[in-house]
Amino acid sequence: MKTYKTQGVLLFTLLLLLVSCGKRSYTVPASFTEADSVAPLYPDYTDITIPANIAPLNFSLRESSPTEVVAELTGSQGGKLVTGGGKDLKVIMDSLQWRTLLEQNRGGDIKVVIYAHFPSGWVRYKTHTLTVAREDIDPYLSYRLIEPGYELYRQLGLYQRNLTNFEELPIYENNRTFSDKDNHCVNCHNYQNYSTRRMIFHVRARHGGTVIVEDDKAEKVQIKGDSILTAGVYPSWHPTLPLIAFSTNKTGQAFHMYHPEKIEVIDEASDLLLYNAERNEVSLILNDSTEYETFPCWSPDGRWLYYCTASEPAVPEGVQLPDSIDPDRRRVMFFENFYYDIRRLPFNEKSGTFGSPETVVDCRSRHRSASFPRVSPDGRYLLFAEGDYGQFHIWHRSSDLYVKDLQNDSIYALAAANSEDVDSYHSWSSNGRWIVFSSRRIDGNYTRLFITYFDQKGQARKAFCLPQGDPEHNVLLLKSYNVPELTRDAVRVTEQTLRKCIYDTEGTTATFKKR
Amino acid sequence: MKPKRKNTPATPQKRVEHEKEKKPLLLPVAVVFFLSVWAWTALYYGPVFRIAREFSFWAPDGTLMYFIKGRPWSALCWIGRALLQLYRWPVAGGALTALFVSGSSWLIGYCLRLRGWWRMLQYIPAAVYLWVTAYIGFDLYYETETGMIMGIPFVCFFILSVLALVIHSFSRHHTFPNIVRPPKDELPLQNRLQTLVVLGIVMITVGITHVMRPYVRVVTKMQCQMMEQDWEGMAKTARDHAELSYRQLSAYYTMALVQRGEQCSRLFDIRMDYDEPYMHGFEGLESNGEKYYIMECDLYAGLVQTAIHHAIENMTMNGPSIRTLKLLTKCALLKGEWNVAEKYLGVLQHVPFEDAFVKRYKPMVGNMALVDADPEFKMIRLTEPLRDCFENFLTQPVFLGYNATLMEGRSVNALYNSLAVHIYTKSMPQFMERVAPLAGATPPANISDAVLLMSSKYPQVLKLFPNIEYNRQQLMFFMQSVRPYIKSFEARTEHARELFPKWKGYYPYYYFFGNLKATKRKDATNEESSKHGVN
Repeated sequence: MKTYKTQGVLLFTLLLLLVSCGKRSYTVPASFTEADSVAPLYPDYTDITIPANIAPLNFSLRESSPTEVVAELTGSQGGKLVTGGGKDLKVIMDSLQWRTLLEQNRGGDIKVVIYAHFPSGWVRYKTHTLTVAREDIDPYLSYRLIEPGYELYRQLGLYQRNLTNFEELPIYENNRTFSDKDNHCVNCHNYQNYSTRRMIFHVRARHGGTVIVEDDKAEKVQIKGDSILTAGVYPSWHPTLPLIAFSTNKTGQAFHMYHPEKIEVIDEASDLLLYNAERNEVSLILNDSTEYETFPCWSPDGRWLYYCTASEPAVPEGVQLPDSIDPDRRRVMFFENFYYDIRRLPFNEKSGTFGSPETVVDCRSRHRSASFPRVSPDGRYLLFAEGDYGQFHIWHRSSDLYVKDLQNDSIYALAAANSEDVDSYHSWSSNGRWIVFSSRRIDGNYTRLFITYFDQKGQARKAFCLPQGDPEHNVLLLKSYNVPELTRDAVRVTEQTLRKCIYDTEGTTATFKKR
Repeated sequence: MKPKRKNTPATPQKRVEHEKEKKPLLLPVAVVFFLSVWAWTALYYGPVFRIAREFSFWAPDGTLMYFIKGRPWSALCWIGRALLQLYRWPVAGGALTALFVSGSSWLIGYCLRLRGWWRMLQYIPAAVYLWVTAYIGFDLYYETETGMIMGIPFVCFFILSVLALVIHSFSRHHTFPNIVRPPKDELPLQNRLQTLVVLGIVMITVGITHVMRPYVRVVTKMQCQMMEQDWEGMAKTARDHAELSYRQLSAYYTMALVQRGEQCSRLFDIRMDYDEPYMHGFEGLESNGEKYYIMECDLYAGLVQTAIHHAIENMTMNGPSIRTLKLLTKCALLKGEWNVAEKYLGVLQHVPFEDAFVKRYKPMVGNMALVDADPEFKMIRLTEPLRDCFENFLTQPVFLGYNATLMEGRSVNALYNSLAVHIYTKSMPQFMERVAPLAGATPPANISDAVLLMSSKYPQVLKLFPNIEYNRQQLMFFMQSVRPYIKSFEARTEHARELFPKWKGYYPYYYFFGNLKATKRKDATNEESSKHGVN
């Protein structure tokens, strides 16, 4: 009898444990007081427009005293999700319920009501809205993760995130442990027309070269030559042809000692190259020694090549420089006088020749500076980052996203998406309705990815941070996101194939072709 | 034959006393070993382990520990780093190390069934661990995997424990030998010798540190004092070991002086002739260990952005560390970058036992008045640059290069820093150019001595400092007493050490006899680094 009793108690305890370990259900509190503000959420997911295929927007409530949080999501076209979080105030949503709610409300709104349990009782914050767009975002996003660093690198990699869930897989990671003979950096990944069928990225230092991927095969090439400044740097695949436009930059950096900015990245010289991936041929597009041409980008129809260019920074009036100051030092000294315009070159696909350049965005006359031109998939809008000076806007707080409407030539800032901190490297989704960009708005130092909806009137909405399984992920991650690129499909080449290509091959040197 | 009468006391009480008298005292060697290792880890080598923890990082969160994932022996590193956290209090961490080390020795004896004299062998692995730990000095944690410090003893202890359990389960003898009592089969001589061996092991460990790496404990003690902001204690520790001459020691000593505003009065109280420490960087390559202190030097020289630069590079190469994150938090607060300060504090909140730091600095987020009122930050503020310039244009290391070219500062402390750099580097023309703003005052001792020393070359300077004439006698006395050695470089090198105790703290001694090993610094600037690629 006693044994049965003991067994019963044990079983009950076990059941109790199982129940307590299971998912907790939350109910909307019946009585509460009203707050006069919206809930302080981290990340800020209040009043934003989201794609229906996005992963759950998990968040945490940034309050100090509550012990519990409840979120009630009600769709304008039906459906409801009630969820919540305990003492850590993290609200982690059920993916299936989230997906169902979003699908049900595609093109509609979801009202979100947040309740927090303070020692004095429940408080209800002002309702905020999630607008669900009709258009999906491309499901895959590639980026690089690296410390927001200076000169050195050690563990870094290119990763691909599935935006419909929280899966992040490495495309390629460099050496995990330090090894001088293998130490290398990877950067500047780029795809052809939102497809992973063709991809490139660079390997710097040991095992250096440019890796060109076609489906699941990888090949290393060396894009260099006597007439080329350095290897290829910022790439852009032609949308249909096996051509890649590169800039080739002699780049240096200078470190501020008492300045709101930390680093200046300054080109000593830069030109534009065209690389034919089929023939392994490289040629110069522009190599004007008085101009600094960089950041090439093809238009979606492949008929134009956009790029940025600046001339030698002017020495301020009245400043007399001694002869001992060489041009490199002068460039660094007057870094604030570097103003980059956006120009474009017509491209004849049949002959493979370029026409004369024309200025698309004149920044010099306004004493402003543009970088990273990106044309929307419909060819109508030119998206770029504009700051006070220079070209490496990821280190410039003044940098914001701008668009030029190529139909009516109007230029305007994407005010709703921009922030007071850096807003820089950006890419369009294949349907032109979403823009992913880098921003330092969260803490001013670590770059995070933000997504904004670009509506048919050419305006962006309030941007939201890339959702993560753990809402505190961005606090804990001590790396920055670089070069976000959206694709329709997942990368096909395996990490092993890439590693083999990088480690085991020297890379064939491209033939230089005179134009 | 008459049976021999036993000499047995009549009463039971007397019998017990007699037994005690007769039975030789046997010490529980395992316990003795545990206690002696504990004393070594907690008391003698405690500061070293505490600093090892600061150079390390562990948090239960997977995102924060991502940099360890995929490395060889990553699970071991993870556990080892977690256990190292206990060295927040060396008494606690030391107890655990002592348990692993002495426990492993005991378990080796049990598993190998060592008997009698053979029992000595069980202490060999422990001895190797302790001696290697002491021998490698800074390499215990500098640019190496800190997870090994506790990971190795833990894994040995764990494997041996499992093995002992297996042996015990399948053994006919079901009782474990008593750990606190000597084994029954142990002879008194064996017991005494074993006790001597374990004490000897720990004594040799102490000896290795004392003879071969005497600077390690001193520097780490100063670092611990720095964490407590005990600047006076730091300076005293350095002065107590003034004959030791290592860059790390000088660096932390100077930081303490800068915080106390004594950089021009007591700078030369320690020997500065820089012996080479036993230090290796990545892949075991020889290193002068500049990165050991450079980010702190930047910060306490008021070069907050340069400190961030070096701290981020440190984090890039070594992964996060408690020390780097704390320094970055301070830099962010000084720069008023509240959000990133909050981020670093958020990360530190995940590190066990760092509540006190978080509690102290969190209220400063968003409150510049609190930041400026902090005594440590107040001193840093005094030497912050007035204007921006680029690190690339300055001689390395920047905290010296910047102060060497300083033309304007926000306080007299900035001028002191600049003057200290010039007298340290013996750049006397530049020193004489910069000393003028102190005219009329009685400058700090090192400055006065340097001015007087230079007055034969620059006689007009005495008009600016009429009060320093009273030192002339001392200078003359010094010049007279060192006259035999001063003429040749070789003689100066040969006699520098013997003259130090008499003339320590006196600038003319340093000028002629100090830092002689240093080759003339090339006037190379950091512009090379501007030509590096961009990540």
